[in-house]
Amino acid sequence: MAQISFRNVFKSYEGGHTAVRDLNLDIADGEFMVLVGPSGCGKTTALRMIAGLEDISGGELLINGERANDLAPRDRNIAMVFQSYALYPHLTVADNIGFGLKVRGMSRDEIAAKVKKTAELLELTDYLERKPAKLSGGQRQRVAMGRALVRSPNAFLMDEPLSNLDARLRGQMRAEIAKLQRMSAVTTVYVTHDQVEAMTMGHRVAVMNKGALQQLDTPRNLYDHPVNLFVASFIGSPPINFFEGMVGQADGAAVVKLGSFILPLGAFGARAAAYQDRKVIVGIRPEALKLTEAAGGPGTISARTAFVEDLGATLLVQLDVEAANLVHASVAEEEDDLKAIRPRMRAMIDGVLAIAPGDVLSFSVDPGAIHLFDADTGMAL
Amino acid sequence: MAQVSGRQVFAERTAVLLITIVMLLPVVWLITTAYKPSNQIFSIPPRLDFQPTLDQFRNIFGYFDVVSLLRSSVAISLGTTVLSLLLGVPSGYALARSRSRYATGFAYFFLAIRMVPAIASLIPFYLMMRDIGLLGSWWAVVIINTMLNCAFVTWMMFSYFRALPRDMEEAALTDGCTQLGAFFKVAVPAARSGIIACVLFCVMFSWNDFLYPMFLTTLDSKPLSVALLTAYGTKDITWGSLGALAHFSTIPIVLMALFLNRYFVQGATNGVQ
Repeated sequence: MAQISFRNVFKSYEGGHTAVRDLNLDIADGEFMVLVGPSGCGKTTALRMIAGLEDISGGELLINGERANDLAPRDRNIAMVFQSYALYPHLTVADNIGFGLKVRGMSRDEIAAKVKKTAELLELTDYLERKPAKLSGGQRQRVAMGRALVRSPNAFLMDEPLSNLDARLRGQMRAEIAKLQRMSAVTTVYVTHDQVEAMTMGHRVAVMNKGALQQLDTPRNLYDHPVNLFVASFIGSPPINFFEGMVGQADGAAVVKLGSFILPLGAFGARAAAYQDRKVIVGIRPEALKLTEAAGGPGTISARTAFVEDLGATLLVQLDVEAANLVHASVAEEEDDLKAIRPRMRAMIDGVLAIAPGDVLSFSVDPGAIHLFDADTGMAL
Repeated sequence: MAQVSGRQVFAERTAVLLITIVMLLPVVWLITTAYKPSNQIFSIPPRLDFQPTLDQFRNIFGYFDVVSLLRSSVAISLGTTVLSLLLGVPSGYALARSRSRYATGFAYFFLAIRMVPAIASLIPFYLMMRDIGLLGSWWAVVIINTMLNCAFVTWMMFSYFRALPRDMEEAALTDGCTQLGAFFKVAVPAARSGIIACVLFCVMFSWNDFLYPMFLTTLDSKPLSVALLTAYGTKDITWGSLGALAHFSTIPIVLMALFLNRYFVQGATNGVQ
């Protein structure tokens, strides 16, 4: 079992690129920690540092309180599942799973017994004599898991292990991995760019962007209380809507004005007190917009339907808002692509409603569901 | 897959057949020559309905120590291949995994070594071997062939290892291997098809090499390739003997290619992952 800590860790490459900057992160013993962020955010580099596959340019990596910066990968007793699975093509499934045990000098009988047990757990018993090339993607993924599980390591490291599977299998394996982790209670660090995996699997999630840790929290708190614009836009699907807004007063109560719409902040007005008459960014999640008959009143937003995506249980409606300014919920990697597209407001509504492009819809917004951010720093108020 | 018309299949097969005939004609000529009576070798048109004879084989066993020639050929090829691989495979791996931006340049530099005309290095090498007393031994040929082939193996294995995902070796490292262990237990077996291709090339190059052994070996240490030339034009030993001797020079290498080809294809289709 292991406790893993990053202390002011930096990783920079020749040529000046910094992959990880000043990372401070404590992963508790037995915890399932998810590192999430867009590609190039440094999450995989951080993971590889724990494995010992990447040199640390500055700061300290502690495993169980001991400095591990210069420890060889083999001396860390950490198992890693690679995105490509990295199975040994010349070995059978059984030999792939037993490889780490053999290298560590375990007896043939012991290896056979452990491999058998692991194969049963992962339903691989029928494939033990096959070579990886003769397996399906899902089976290869399970072999990669088996290779990690069989060793009873101090920690599991997983680098986007599900990204090569199709959606249905991914959903199934997501639950499977989370279950295995809870069962074995081995410290797990899981890297993904998929926010569904981040939200559903981990005890805590570390959101990273451009090499820096943005927020470390439980999935619920990330969704409810994002600390900045990046986290707000990265967590949540479909992504949050951002508006340009202005904090003001109406009838003695704090409100936020989005163009001509006025949204009362109610009990949540206190946090905006210092921002009186200043520009802010207002975040409203698509699922926080509730369809209402009361068009035009305070607390409502009206918009014209541009198009409707029928997701079955719900409709994802994209709307043009003329009376307020929408801002892109930008995630670094998509920034350039997004600039070319006109921002639209997204709303999730009941799937049975008959809505057609051109319809004007009104939505009410609960004051508790309004996120406010400093327009200059992007930090939550 | 697109549907292929009957006419297309016919055209393809005819083309393959024609090419096969063109390729095999010299081989057929070579083989038949060895079994023809001397007076029929140059009959025009060439005849296939001759009375086969083993006279030519009796002749060459009389004039040559075939066993000694074979032994020299095997020793030179084996020595060259083993040394070239021992040096070339790790070098190719080291270059492939190097983070230096000059690595690719180095690899192509090695390939360029293989392209140096053999004759250019012969005279200085001859003098060197004379001075260290290896002239006339198998070693002289093995060393110069290793120099050239190991450069080729380095380049070839560089390309192979470059194409091999680093993940696999990293998995081996986290599984408890040392860097060296990851190389021997994972990288080398995974690059098996490349290594077998290198074996084929090395054996072929050194088995068929004529120039170096011609000048660097003596009567006792000369291989088959050199003997083939002496079969021509001495006394009455002529084309028939050459054909018979060519049996010993080609059959082993064809057999080896056929045998290794199976592994070569297997290795290539196993694929990575």
